Amino acid sequence: QLDRGCALHTAARGGLSSVCSQDVPAERPRAVFHTSESDPAKHTEQHEGRLYNIPLEEVKAVFPHGLPYRFQQQIRTFNEARVMVRRPALELLACLKGSNLAHPAVRYVIYGERGTGKTMTLCHVVHYCSRQGWLVLHIPDAHLWVKNCKELLQSSYKKDRLDQPLQASVWLKNFKSSNERFLQEIKTQKKYMWGKQESTEEGRPLGEVVEQGLARVRSASDAVGVVLRELKQQSHRGSFRLLVAVDGVNALWGRTSLRKEDKSPVSPEELTLVHNLRKMVRNDWSGGAIVTTLSQTGSLFRPSLAYTPQELLGKEGFDALDPFVPIPVPNYSPKEFESCYGYYLERKWLQHEKAHTEDGKAELQFLSGSNPRQLDRLAGPL
Amino acid sequence: RIMPVRWSRYNPSYLEPEVKTESHQKPLEELTEEEKEQMDLKAVRPIKAAPATLSSSVFSDPMISKFTNMMMKSGNKVLAKSLMSQTLEAIKRKQLEKYHKAPENEKETIECNPYVIFHQALKNCQPIIGLSSITRGGKTYQVPVPLTDNRKRFLAMKWLITECRENKHRRTLMPEKLSQELLLAFSNEGPVIKKKHVLHKMAEANRAYAHFRWW
Repeated sequence: QLDRGCALHTAARGGLSSVCSQDVPAERPRAVFHTSESDPAKHTEQHEGRLYNIPLEEVKAVFPHGLPYRFQQQIRTFNEARVMVRRPALELLACLKGSNLAHPAVRYVIYGERGTGKTMTLCHVVHYCSRQGWLVLHIPDAHLWVKNCKELLQSSYKKDRLDQPLQASVWLKNFKSSNERFLQEIKTQKKYMWGKQESTEEGRPLGEVVEQGLARVRSASDAVGVVLRELKQQSHRGSFRLLVAVDGVNALWGRTSLRKEDKSPVSPEELTLVHNLRKMVRNDWSGGAIVTTLSQTGSLFRPSLAYTPQELLGKEGFDALDPFVPIPVPNYSPKEFESCYGYYLERKWLQHEKAHTEDGKAELQFLSGSNPRQLDRLAGPL
Repeated sequence: RIMPVRWSRYNPSYLEPEVKTESHQKPLEELTEEEKEQMDLKAVRPIKAAPATLSSSVFSDPMISKFTNMMMKSGNKVLAKSLMSQTLEAIKRKQLEKYHKAPENEKETIECNPYVIFHQALKNCQPIIGLSSITRGGKTYQVPVPLTDNRKRFLAMKWLITECRENKHRRTLMPEKLSQELLLAFSNEGPVIKKKHVLHKMAEANRAYAHFRWW
């Protein structure tokens, strides 16, 4: 289960007592591209290109939201969740293991072309942190907060801000289910008023704020703001470590496709959720890390071939996120392609007779260009 | 300009294009006499343009391409191909889920290959005998008549597509409905198989007029 980590791991390879000797293919050829090591803390370069298993109960507990839709379908079909260990994720994990929590939070930006595995890298890191006992603040897709919003209420807290009750309540529900334990332990430090009658006193557990947000959907966005503020202020004390994982962070600084009632466009600052999240992503707090992903697929008003941080974040976003550690995610290397292909064969996902031949494999590699998403789409009907 | 639809306007000297990669990769010594002659002929004669549907991929299947073309509306081949691939994936997912949940002894009976299911379902839907209307003395009679292979295949595919387009709920998508129908036809159940049986019964009922056929 998710036990609390005791000491910080060092990144020294020799220091880790790895259980790699177990992975030497002894009994079955299955172990060549699988690894029995299901704890991300123990993944090293020996495990690169291999797939590790996450037990299904852990998947439900750690990822109530955040996994890509195709991957969720794959979990349902194969009855198991296998994630590939890749080099960008290993680099990120090494940085996290060696980070000093007394210093201000370091920002990591995962970028890459479309369909190369940025969201899966983020999920790998989220799994590692939840295994180590960190408090994970996972926003599955920030683009969902700036487009297709059915209800926009005027905020009661600040006159010119707009609330999004639906998105906020959905996020609060998922946040509660993944971090139940922490919500009882962390206490509020200020009295908060929800409207004229209801209020939350000082010193109450944070779970009450979340309940309040879920019960009264009108104040859900303010509840989210309160939660973020409390976590930021209390993380430096060291009682818990905070990970802020945002997918599609370029949504916070772009344009929105929402309009106010007088048909004037809404800019992202006017949304409470986006405003609070921007404050969270600033590195003026310590005691954790911020891992973000850029995404062009859900983004608004950005060219489809753009993938670098400069193009997707724009000037404002780049200045806000600067300085950050960029982590590029490339397509599959030949070894990773082999292990993905072998996994599909072993799980009987590639049913076509010609797909088992060398010609079929060469054709799949050529057509997909070793891009993980294209390979998944091509292998679907085969 | 009038584009030829049925009869080719090519000069008879034009040869067909060769798509299979194996025939191009054979070294010179392995060729027989006829193949050497064929190669010399190809060096001299012009070759017809390859149609866009002809592919050298090992995964291409003529039946699937024909079915995709029949599903296509107003030339939108991209949409038709994506619907076909989503159908095959849906069939595979349903069968794999059944496979993983079944006990050991039943696992061999469950067929997971979507192509095998597609071909078998089409074969099950093909009628053996058809009806054709012949007018004698002012009255039109429905006469039972043997069908060619092409006509059988066409009728099976047409029935499947019309069934999926008409008898479905407004919100169900084509891939889901098609995968359902294909799985039913694979196990010899479902509305398309019933339609085939109805046609057979009509032909059996009109046996008396079989002598009207003159071909």
